[in-house]
Amino acid sequence: MKRLIDFKNFTKGIWKENPVLYLMLGLCPLLAISGSVSDSIGMGIAFTFVLVCSNIIISLIRRFVPAHVRIPVFIVIIATFVTITDYSVAAFSPQLHKNLGVFLPLIVVNCIVLGRAEAFASKNNVINSFLDGLGMGIGFTIIIVFMAVIREGIGNGTIMGRPVFPENYKPFLFMILPPGAFLVIGFLIALKNTIKGRRKC
Amino acid sequence: MKRKEIIGGIIVLFLVTSLCGFLLAEVYKATSPKIEKQKRLEEEKLNKEIFPEGEKFEKVKKGDVEYFVVYDKKKRKIGRIYTIKSLGYGGYIYLKVGIDNNFKIKGVKILQHNETPGLGAKITEDKFLNQFKNIGIENLYLKKDNPKGKIDSITGATISSRAVVNGIRKLMEKIKNEKID
Repeated sequence: MKRLIDFKNFTKGIWKENPVLYLMLGLCPLLAISGSVSDSIGMGIAFTFVLVCSNIIISLIRRFVPAHVRIPVFIVIIATFVTITDYSVAAFSPQLHKNLGVFLPLIVVNCIVLGRAEAFASKNNVINSFLDGLGMGIGFTIIIVFMAVIREGIGNGTIMGRPVFPENYKPFLFMILPPGAFLVIGFLIALKNTIKGRRKC
Repeated sequence: MKRKEIIGGIIVLFLVTSLCGFLLAEVYKATSPKIEKQKRLEEEKLNKEIFPEGEKFEKVKKGDVEYFVVYDKKKRKIGRIYTIKSLGYGGYIYLKVGIDNNFKIKGVKILQHNETPGLGAKITEDKFLNQFKNIGIENLYLKKDNPKGKIDSITGATISSRAVVNGIRKLMEKIKNEKID
């Protein structure tokens, strides 16, 4: 069953096993950051980078790591990549660093990253782990950007800071406040379940 | 757990953590000058926005207060820039305020805040902040709080507006006996 290169590992993260809509992981940064499209894109890229790198490294060393110390080893590797990302973003895009705030370092404890390390990368070869990380990362990015387009568009009348509605549009503030995030994610999960015809959760 | 397994675990953890530590030290060395530079540029840009005619900004520390002394092209002291915090609706509002030699406000910039988007967050807009220009301590009130006041509060965000005004007034009361130039 296990093939050397299986592209299903890539595509499953985007739709079928989308980390947000199916696995229900990583909701914290998703709800917090999705109020602004440009921040969401930054968050998605940072997150995908960490996920792909940690998946590759963990898959490479999976045979050398004894089972009883695997969790600390995974965490150290993930934390290293998160810190690298944190420093780089601070050095090259201070504005984005300011906007993402605490949620950038918090990728360390993001359950998607550790979840994929534990559930996939520690059991599969490097290429498949890379595809899995990339797919999951892109899946997360698509959802967070999509949510941000809805929330920023309706809640602030702009997308990436540019107005998208006629001038007399009065922004529906609720959407950009925290409750709006819960509403949108609820509708998105419902939409996915309707399309898949999957009633049980 | 067997002795061999424990030692294996220790060795692996030791190797992984030391490698990661080494890597991070290198990344830190490479990026920290850039991060410092970005912070300095940011600070300078804000100072310059508050005091456009300022040429040199010198950081001074006096007790627990820190501020910038502003010099113009002829090296004369023309004012100070303070960083203060004030409790708003959603937590502390951090802001920079420039005060000139005549104890009038030169300019205000909001650094960080947690106010409600669309309401309190409007304190960052020029429409609100420009009202502070050339206001002295005697007129530094919200119009609705004091008849001498010259600041219009933001609709639906009185607490946020008041926090900015009161924060600056507190600062000015504290420093009114100091000589600026």
